[in-house]
Amino acid sequence: MTLQFQTARLPESAFQLDLLTKKINRLLLAGIGIAVLLFLILPVFIVIPMSFSESSSLRFPPEGFSFRWYVRVFSDASWLAAIKTSVVLAFLSSTLALILGSLGAYGLVRGNFIGRDFWQSNFIAPLIIPSVILAVALYFALAYTGLLGSFAGLLLAHTLLGVPYIVLIMSIAIRSFDIRIEQVAFTLGASWPTMFLRILLPNLLPSAAAAWIFAFVTSFDEVVITKFIAGTYETVPKKMFNELVLQVNPVITAIATILIVISVLLMIVAVKMDQKSKAILKADN
Amino acid sequence: MSTIITRSRITPTMWMVVPLLIVMAIGFNLPIIMMLAKSFVQDQSFTFANYIDLIEMPVYLKVLVNTFKIAAITTVCCVLLGYPLAYWILGLSTRWKIICLAAIVVPFWVSILVRTYAWIVIMGNSGIINRSLLELGWIEAPIQFLYNEFGVVIGTINVLLPFMVLPLFASMTKIDQRILSAAETLGANHVTIFWRIFFPLSAPALAAGAVLVFILTLGFYITPAILGGGRVPMAANMLDLLINQMPSWEVASSISVVLLALTIILFMFYLRFTNEEKAR
Repeated sequence: MTLQFQTARLPESAFQLDLLTKKINRLLLAGIGIAVLLFLILPVFIVIPMSFSESSSLRFPPEGFSFRWYVRVFSDASWLAAIKTSVVLAFLSSTLALILGSLGAYGLVRGNFIGRDFWQSNFIAPLIIPSVILAVALYFALAYTGLLGSFAGLLLAHTLLGVPYIVLIMSIAIRSFDIRIEQVAFTLGASWPTMFLRILLPNLLPSAAAAWIFAFVTSFDEVVITKFIAGTYETVPKKMFNELVLQVNPVITAIATILIVISVLLMIVAVKMDQKSKAILKADN
Repeated sequence: MSTIITRSRITPTMWMVVPLLIVMAIGFNLPIIMMLAKSFVQDQSFTFANYIDLIEMPVYLKVLVNTFKIAAITTVCCVLLGYPLAYWILGLSTRWKIICLAAIVVPFWVSILVRTYAWIVIMGNSGIINRSLLELGWIEAPIQFLYNEFGVVIGTINVLLPFMVLPLFASMTKIDQRILSAAETLGANHVTIFWRIFFPLSAPALAAGAVLVFILTLGFYITPAILGGGRVPMAANMLDLLINQMPSWEVASSISVVLLALTIILFMFYLRFTNEEKAR
């Protein structure tokens, strides 16, 4: 476009035709783009208003305004139990994944490894393999050890799912943190724990927080593996899934809205944390 | 590399990987190996019977073929919808770019269950579309959008489209605008510029996105279960049946192994395409 004076040398009519088709194509593209974008976000905008409906029908726009479905969620003992299980499970598994994954990422990045790429891809594999395959494999293994339907089995599975995010995010953070700063701390006589607490931790904390949130949300959202191995344990997504398969129940819209609000809030925090960590790392360099 | 010097001794840093290694070995590698072993066993002896069953029993073959069909349809649709969307966003102002990208990322963070539920509200027999059409008098009876392949494909595209659009857009922003300007200077019209220069440069990212969408559809469980209403059996749902309803673990493991092998092969292609893009 900045070079239009050059193209103007073309025969006048051909040039105008080109401009015209360009305009038509732009309009067409905008039409398609907007339609696809609407298709993508439509579900999110349907569920939120539905949760404030007065009636139990699926009519949209919803009839009346009430909080009855929210009241229903928080007065139903089985939903409360599911929320508790989900929160405890997500908290424990993401914390465990953060500890294991960060240590592992540090070792992988800073240590000299034979087949480092192999180990790295092995740690990231649970993210790539379809979760139903992992569900089948874990089902067999847990059934074999008698841990099927136990909280320990569930915790192990959810930790595995969090590890890839932690390893990916923490590897990048550690790699971009200048190793010479660590070496200087040792030269000045710092012990490993001191170096860790005073140098590494403050610098990597924002990345760790972002990674932890990713793992937390992944666990909180997990359906397939949980459905296979959880036994009698009910998590929020498992209960939602079971209710959705049986019948369409407006209580789900209330739960869904709560989930949307929490995930969007967490996402904003995670993005902010990530930006902060990048700013820190930039300042270091 | 200093690898040669330090290879012989294990440094303290390397011990830090050990806890993760143990947990991964117990929780991930071992179960996968167990599954692999189980798929070759019947009546406690080595056999290929579980795999032969897959080919000979029409039920299994039908479900596998059906899964590939839905994965292929979804992939083609994601390409056709995702490419124009990414290309359109590329031409917007910075502010609108951010708004559009946020609109793509936010559903990413909303539970698949929630998004799938929304399609019941939209496309169900008493959903928005059917009621509007009935009120307008365009149709006599509600159109069956759900509990068939159409419903499953719509729901799946909706969930997987961001996996296509986001990397594609990222790759498009990296295309050097000067190449396009140079082509314009040399007298190419914009249709030629797009098809001869822009599209070939973005093709590896498009191919990578397509492979990713295909892989993810192969293992899809939630959307077919809810929007298919049991009438659109896909591999993942069959695995659920084989394990939880009618214990047939050996067949379940052979199906899983087939899916796993396919995933790994396809992922190799994915890596090749992304490397091609990086090398560009």
